[in-house]
Amino acid sequence: MKRIVALMIALMLCLCMAALAEDSDMAYVKANGKLVVGITDFAPMDYKDESGEWIGFDADMAKAFAESLGVDVEFIEIDWDNKIMELDNKSIDVVWNGMTLTDDVKAAMECSNAYANNAQVVIVPADVADQYQTAESIAELNIAVENGSAGEEVVSALGYTITEVATQADALMEVAAGTSDAAVIDSLMAAAMVGEGTGYANLTYTVGLNSEEYGAGFRKGSDLAAALNDFMKAAWDDGTMSTIAETYGVQAAIIAQ
Amino acid sequence: MQLFLEQFPIVVRSLNVGFLQTLKLFCVTLIGALPLGLVIAFGSMSRIKPLSIFTRIIVWIVRGSPLMIQLLIIFYFPGIVLHKTVWGGGEAGRFAAASTAFIINYACYFSEIYRGGIQSVPVGQEEAGLVLGMTKPQIFFHVKLSQVIKRIVPPMSNEIITLVKDTSLARIIALQEIIWAGQAFMKSSQGISGAIWPLFFTGVYYLACNGLLTLLFGWVERKLGYYKV
Repeated sequence: MKRIVALMIALMLCLCMAALAEDSDMAYVKANGKLVVGITDFAPMDYKDESGEWIGFDADMAKAFAESLGVDVEFIEIDWDNKIMELDNKSIDVVWNGMTLTDDVKAAMECSNAYANNAQVVIVPADVADQYQTAESIAELNIAVENGSAGEEVVSALGYTITEVATQADALMEVAAGTSDAAVIDSLMAAAMVGEGTGYANLTYTVGLNSEEYGAGFRKGSDLAAALNDFMKAAWDDGTMSTIAETYGVQAAIIAQ
Repeated sequence: MQLFLEQFPIVVRSLNVGFLQTLKLFCVTLIGALPLGLVIAFGSMSRIKPLSIFTRIIVWIVRGSPLMIQLLIIFYFPGIVLHKTVWGGGEAGRFAAASTAFIINYACYFSEIYRGGIQSVPVGQEEAGLVLGMTKPQIFFHVKLSQVIKRIVPPMSNEIITLVKDTSLARIIALQEIIWAGQAFMKSSQGISGAIWPLFFTGVYYLACNGLLTLLFGWVERKLGYYKV
């Protein structure tokens, strides 16, 4: 028994040493021959076209970044709750999916510079929207937010009552089903998902509670974040970033690099 | 209504793809867990004490903790703690990790059903076999097994129907089975955004599948009803 325990400890030590001796993240990705990008289905940043290929502002930027590194790009849909585990597990190399740069995110990942502006907006049923045009007016409501999202941070900071749900889409469903009075989600998503011509035609968005920024996140300590900053600077200077932004109608939100 | 009719074919196509993944996981789990369960059952009935204690501890751990946590541990533990992912991040890796978790989990449940079935055969039959000069394996395969199979069909059908629905847990490691496919339309996918009905509609697939399984097990039971024990 003792010998087995000793053997197992020795084995674990070896594995830890191997982990410490690892090369930089850049070298790892290049040796792998591909940049694995963790995404969710999130128009207009990452979504599928008719042929099933991933497109969107973030997807196109990721393709261009991978090309500049001389590697292929692979998109993998992840569960957003598990994004940090997915990075550490090396099942993905970067989270690049309209991610709000909150303090939590910055602490857990090596983040790039911000590249787009966003806001957290209030979603309410359209017929009562007139009453909820200010941040103070929603104080008495029960507000659905995505667990761990920027929306949760904003609403908690205001001290309002929140209901935590798994995704922003679930938060919308709460309002549609009447189980919550309001929801707080990303403005870019709200613009695409509520109002006329969407599945939530009877919902609308009113006041923005804050302004915030999107960035991409790499493994803690990765040298790829700096490489992406350099790449975005070059892409901004030669106009490719603006061109891609115009393709997806998000040029107003893009931040100069 | 117009909108629904436009969405219906797109949603059904997407749900079909998801359900195929569900069925794949279901079949792979059965193929792996049915024989592995028998091995574990023999392990926990073994007369070698350390082996039977070890096996029973494993069964306790696997049956005593949520399958969702087992999925998370099997998929993320190697990469995060050992810094060496064994699965890879792609669809195939996630499927392999999910299959492993499901096979181990269900094999443990199956093993207890097998054990119950095997131990329910009266000991007199084994003694009679020994008196007649049969070997232990002969007794097991020629005398006990057919009775065991007959007895375990109802509890097995219970577990197998539960398995169909449990496959939905694999979405926690982003395996894109039918629940995942249905949820995608709640956000935005293939031009449909904020649609809740596809998620509810996935229930129809589970019901249809379990309806077929119920009929199948009813038929199996009738087929095995050729003698009374």
